[in-house]
Amino acid sequence: MNRFARDTSAVTAKELRQLLRDPLSLALTIIFPILLIQIFVVIVTAFSAPSYNIAVVVSDLDGSSKSRSLVDKLTSSRLIKVTQLLQTEEQAYHAVESGAATGAVIIPKGFGIALLNNRSAFVILETDNSKITSSSLVQSAVSSSTQALLESTGVSLGASSVQVIQRPISGRPETGDMIVPGMLGMITILGAFDDIVNAITRERERGTFSRLVLTPTSILSIYSGKISATVVLNAIRTTLMLVIFVFTGLTIRGSVPLVYLTTTLIAVFTMSLGLLLSTKVTSSSTLTVLEIAITFPLFQLAGAIQAPELLASGGRAMAQILPWTYGNDALRRVIYLGVGFDAIAIDLLVLTVSSLVLLPIATLLSKRTI
Amino acid sequence: MPAKAFLNDALAVMTNEFRLLRRNRTAILISLVILPLFFTVSLGGASGRSGESFSPIAHLTIAYVDNDVTIASGRLLSTLSSSGDFNNLVQGYSEDSAMATLGTGRIYAAIIVPKGFEENLAKNEQANLVVYVDDSLNGLGNQIAYSIQSSLQKFSPRAEIRPVTGGAQQIEIIQKGAKFSSFNIGLTIILALVIIFATFYEIAGGMSRESEDGTYARLLMTPTSLGAVVFGKTMYDLVLNAIRTLMVLGLAIFAYGARPSTDFGTILLISLLMALLTMGFGFLISAIGIGIRAVIIIEFFLVLFLFAFSGFVIDRELLRGVSNTISYMLPWAYGIELLKRTILIGQPLLTLTGQLEFVLASIVVFYGLAYFLLRLSRERLVR
Repeated sequence: MNRFARDTSAVTAKELRQLLRDPLSLALTIIFPILLIQIFVVIVTAFSAPSYNIAVVVSDLDGSSKSRSLVDKLTSSRLIKVTQLLQTEEQAYHAVESGAATGAVIIPKGFGIALLNNRSAFVILETDNSKITSSSLVQSAVSSSTQALLESTGVSLGASSVQVIQRPISGRPETGDMIVPGMLGMITILGAFDDIVNAITRERERGTFSRLVLTPTSILSIYSGKISATVVLNAIRTTLMLVIFVFTGLTIRGSVPLVYLTTTLIAVFTMSLGLLLSTKVTSSSTLTVLEIAITFPLFQLAGAIQAPELLASGGRAMAQILPWTYGNDALRRVIYLGVGFDAIAIDLLVLTVSSLVLLPIATLLSKRTI
Repeated sequence: MPAKAFLNDALAVMTNEFRLLRRNRTAILISLVILPLFFTVSLGGASGRSGESFSPIAHLTIAYVDNDVTIASGRLLSTLSSSGDFNNLVQGYSEDSAMATLGTGRIYAAIIVPKGFEENLAKNEQANLVVYVDDSLNGLGNQIAYSIQSSLQKFSPRAEIRPVTGGAQQIEIIQKGAKFSSFNIGLTIILALVIIFATFYEIAGGMSRESEDGTYARLLMTPTSLGAVVFGKTMYDLVLNAIRTLMVLGLAIFAYGARPSTDFGTILLISLLMALLTMGFGFLISAIGIGIRAVIIIEFFLVLFLFAFSGFVIDRELLRGVSNTISYMLPWAYGIELLKRTILIGQPLLTLTGQLEFVLASIVVFYGLAYFLLRLSRERLVR
């Protein structure tokens, strides 16, 4: 046991020393989480901006005071920008079909008279639905503008309106956070995958892995050492991420050591899977590409951004068999809800058992490869 | 005759590429099977079959706490239960017990009907509904609020009152525009992603690997022209991309029931244009003379970059400032727009002249620059 521990720590030290000597790998370990977060911030900022300039054209075929008032309300909307006032319906449709505008609002003849006579009026809204978010924002802007027009004309908006007040149990604002805990999970996965490329396949390519195996150090010690090095690197990455989290305003309600424990178990599981894959995929570049290819769908399936409970039934089934889902779930619950060890014990158990199953298989297959 | 020699050389380069691929089972598996299948299956799993509507919250257990116990609150319960969004509404929780249970995974939200709900409605005043959500599940709160709002459109507190239509009662908005499933939206993203991801690695990664192995230098020393090498590799990768497009579309159409609004030829043509664009960029990157590791790093960043700025996830109109400028300079963004406007709304490809011109011009620029740089490096090598 003493020897095992000694060999393991020697391999760990070697791995870390090797990383320190490779500035590119070292920079990547630090830069890529930051870049990933920045990209995510760009996406979130775009979705939660207070105003947009989505191009909308309007064709006021009515020309009444009511229709002009509606055009005014559309023009002053924070979501859209009325780029053109067109004479005909066809011109308005053409603007959307040609991509010049995301939406076209057509106010038909008789609109004002209908409102004055307390009858139902209508407007036609054509949207370019290939622009998913923009088209729904245009719909929302038109809906608010028509509502505002009715309010300004003193029309009762329905006696029995019901307001839904949403109260998240974490006490966070409803608008959510710029960064979500699942991002930490994904960065842990990507980082651990990169570590395995550094630790095994690149060493295989250089020919140093077989030399290492020929030393009296056992293969289990080698793997344990490499995993330990990943644990150290993961702790550094987690620290960096937590600092970014705090700077972007995310409150970590739960225990920080529990966050470290969860990311460590995610990293160890990912490393175990990586070790298994590396027995079959011997080229470091191919392994990296495979890992990236696996990781992108995981963003959706393993609950990195949206909870897997909201996926279709097939997706939920896939999510349930992915151990990473449990890791991300644990991170969300610790960071958002502040739950303790008991509440995430099953999640952590799934990750641990999965690693314990994969690691011996990887060791066995690796021995065969050698 | 020189044209014939050029084509023969290009064909030889292409054949050689296929021979190399055949010898590498892992590469075939990743490039032609894992990438298209894994991405498409993940999409199908996440968004369900095309044309199949599913409520993301219908299966979740949600507590209904009725503190009002009136006809209105009872009618609200039946409205919600019959909406298709709330199939697992459970009663029997008090507000306190529901709050205590939230976060344990036994219930995901609690809809509280406060006392005075019916009274407020009867007095023509606004009534409130309080929804407590386990927000450790990202996106759940907004989804529940949206589903309740939709259900409220059909809610009338008393049987004799017709449903209230959520606000603008007297102005109906007639919505026009193509309708399509979320699977089809995902399909455009997956198709673009698979093509860009695989193509860049095959070209830039392949060239870098050959440079590292020394086989590229040897190839340049043969009488084969640089143009024939580039053309041969391009033809090889176009064939791979046609197979990949077939794989993704085949799976999407036959397994998930996707119905693109355009014909297969158009989708294939756009896919190949996207592939050419990425190949041009791949040749350009490999012409700089970087190693395989750097290629992979660039690939990772390229995909991330495209996620943020090219209309993959966010419509370009929503980006502001520098992000917006970047998005309008990215040629892939125009390719993605071509895919979206043809697959989703069925716009004829030839009417999208602006996007086509930008993509074609970018292909010419990338290839031109790459050829120039590769030629320089070849001359350096000869000297």
